[in-house]
Amino acid sequence: MKLDLRSINRCVRCGTCRSVCPVFEESGWESANTRGRILVMKGLASGFEADKEVQESLNTCTTCGICTEKCPAGVNPPQLVEEARRELVASGIMTAEQSDLSMRIYGSGNTFGELTSRLAWLSDRSWLKAKSDYVYFVGCMNSYRYTETAKNSFALLSKFGVTVLPDEQCCGSPLLRTGFSAARLVDANVRQMKQIGAKTIITGCAGCYTTLKKNYPAEIRIQSIPEFLADHISELNIKSLPLKVTYHDPCHLGRHNKIYEQPRRVIEAVCELREMKANRENARCCGGGGGVRSGYPDLSQQMAKRRLLDVPEGVDYIVTSCPLCVRNLRDAGAGEKVIDLVDLVARATGLPK
Amino acid sequence: MSKTMEALREIFGCRVSASLAERYCYASDASQVQGMPDYVVRPENTQEVSWLLRFCSEHQIPVTPRGAGTGLAGGASPVRGGVVLDMSGMCKIVEIDIGNLQVIVQPGVVADKLNLALRPHGFFFPPDPGSSAMCTIGGMISNNSSGMRSVKYGTTKNYLLDLEVVLADGRIIRTGSKVLKSSAGYDLTRLFAGAEGTLGVITEAGLKMAPLPRSRKLVLTCFQDAETAGRAVISVFSAGITPSACEILDRLTCRVLKSCDPNVAVPDDGDVILFEVDGQESSTEEEALQIAEICRQQALSVRVADSKKEMDEIWAARKLVGAAISRLDPSKTRIYMGEDVGVPISRIPSLIKKVQQISAKLDIPAMKFGHIGDGNLHVALFIDVMDDVQWQKLRLAADRIHRAALEMGGTVSSEHGIGQARAEYLPEQMGEETLQVMRSIKRAIDPANILNPGKLAL
Repeated sequence: MKLDLRSINRCVRCGTCRSVCPVFEESGWESANTRGRILVMKGLASGFEADKEVQESLNTCTTCGICTEKCPAGVNPPQLVEEARRELVASGIMTAEQSDLSMRIYGSGNTFGELTSRLAWLSDRSWLKAKSDYVYFVGCMNSYRYTETAKNSFALLSKFGVTVLPDEQCCGSPLLRTGFSAARLVDANVRQMKQIGAKTIITGCAGCYTTLKKNYPAEIRIQSIPEFLADHISELNIKSLPLKVTYHDPCHLGRHNKIYEQPRRVIEAVCELREMKANRENARCCGGGGGVRSGYPDLSQQMAKRRLLDVPEGVDYIVTSCPLCVRNLRDAGAGEKVIDLVDLVARATGLPK
Repeated sequence: MSKTMEALREIFGCRVSASLAERYCYASDASQVQGMPDYVVRPENTQEVSWLLRFCSEHQIPVTPRGAGTGLAGGASPVRGGVVLDMSGMCKIVEIDIGNLQVIVQPGVVADKLNLALRPHGFFFPPDPGSSAMCTIGGMISNNSSGMRSVKYGTTKNYLLDLEVVLADGRIIRTGSKVLKSSAGYDLTRLFAGAEGTLGVITEAGLKMAPLPRSRKLVLTCFQDAETAGRAVISVFSAGITPSACEILDRLTCRVLKSCDPNVAVPDDGDVILFEVDGQESSTEEEALQIAEICRQQALSVRVADSKKEMDEIWAARKLVGAAISRLDPSKTRIYMGEDVGVPISRIPSLIKKVQQISAKLDIPAMKFGHIGDGNLHVALFIDVMDDVQWQKLRLAADRIHRAALEMGGTVSSEHGIGQARAEYLPEQMGEETLQVMRSIKRAIDPANILNPGKLAL
């Protein structure tokens, strides 16, 4: 199997990652922490058969990147895990959940296999601009599940001349994270971005953000909504709200892209922010990423429940900026207490609910 | 399913595994020593450990206890196969007993987590290996671990009051009690410290704790060469000062530290000694000035740091420097071999010189850092692991470093343990007759030799 042995060999097995891996916290087995996964990859490179347990070791990684953050040797394990998944998938080795997910996305252009329009949340599309410097990339989750957030995002962004892609497809993140190719989806999105003449793509999904940044042409500028809002705070007409909230750093916004301060600046313009016990680069993963929610739902929910223990007392909301985190934390018992940053700002700017 | 697996499943359910992935993950610690286990078992209580050891004794199955697998000598590598007993799931702090100055823990408690729990009470558990964020108390006891503060506070064995141990035949014994001192019979508690799981499996430990110092200060000194630095250290100790840490970082180590984080306030134009003093505000103030004064005569630079933030940054960088070389040169990996020798303090400058010669002759770069205050030098050798010639040179370098330490009346391991990696040097270090006493003890307690066989030259 073709794996990046050079990077794998940088691991000195010191175990630093073992002390922070959120999956290992729940599982307790060595194969379910980063050091173990790197060993499993070494095993694969030396000819191990990719049996069920080997796949489970690799597929339970949420790619949250806290191991990368702490690794004294500078290894980037999520990248290695994704490579290994790609190699396995290329050899036809995958779980039923992986196969279902890929079929669903390839078949429908979204993670849910929905066949309805992605733009159903936008009732009046007649005034959408055919050309624009700015495009709001909605993402599957907000297109189909959190349509209020999509509406609020678009309402906040549209006054800056933002449009949407006429036939947006899944950004490709779930495929790329779990070992598949997303070339067709990427091509379809890029073609539309070019037709519109987009110079900046703005997205409210941390997963989309990483993918747009890493897997799309470098000449298109990618911004997250928290960055965009932070840049335009003074133009948003925010009225402060008598709320206390906390902020959950999505892994793909925080650790993967170092966006820590912008969402906090936006929140502090609206209300009081109280930090979670583990925050910024130390934030615990919600458990929803890397295909773990679809592949290992129980494990994923255990992680989300543990993340909720980090919430400080006395807050009205847990704010985040990733619909995957919203969903996983809501399902773990926090319910409507978890909201998207955009929905908080929408309330503070008096957008209709 | 094999009969053994059936029996293990009945007791441990889903906490036993024989999968290839799991066995491979438990085949080694952070050393180069490997051995494939047949089963991995994760017990949750003493009774389960007792059942397992009785079962394994009856069936002649080797058992290798393991904490977090951060060891550097193969102590937790199952070199004869059998069962790896992963104790890291037994991780409860059973009781914090402030009145009796002690804490009772299960062996899987991680050192930093214990200290996090003790801090609000104003106490701490002083042994502080570089791996304190991940290593377990059970592993620390079994290796008699320590770290940079052992120069003042001693090693793990100095904090043991009482152990609950499961013997090879499944018997459960206690080696001490809650009293802070006892003069009753053989000191069995300390017999298990450094035994690397060859005599029994520790399932609970009563540990003494120490009050947190009110104040710490750090004196950063930089010298032209390691010998001058070594002389300064001897002058400081001779003046009656016992620093709470006394660390040497050679030029190369400082360069690596700086390249990883240019903001770390460590000089990089010479060999650096970090002196830390702790205690009351007035005493640390006085001692820091005294150290600065003593060193100033021989040093290139001397500076006293007292901001907590700065000190924390320096110590955090120091703790992680061992593996950091890969950040500068991704083709190089640190290999933990020859990394833990110790000599009498006065011989440290000679040892450093010797290591420099070995490294230059073999053309293997070596960072040298460590606890100069107690004579423990960590040598970080790094190589391209895809290059067989470099592996050969590395093994040669490690061997020469070990032999150099022995020639100076030192030890091949000050705090990481012997395991299998350093077992070949034990006859020379201890002498054949002393080793025979160890073997007699082992035979008396574990006649079937099921507990961590293949370690400690037993």
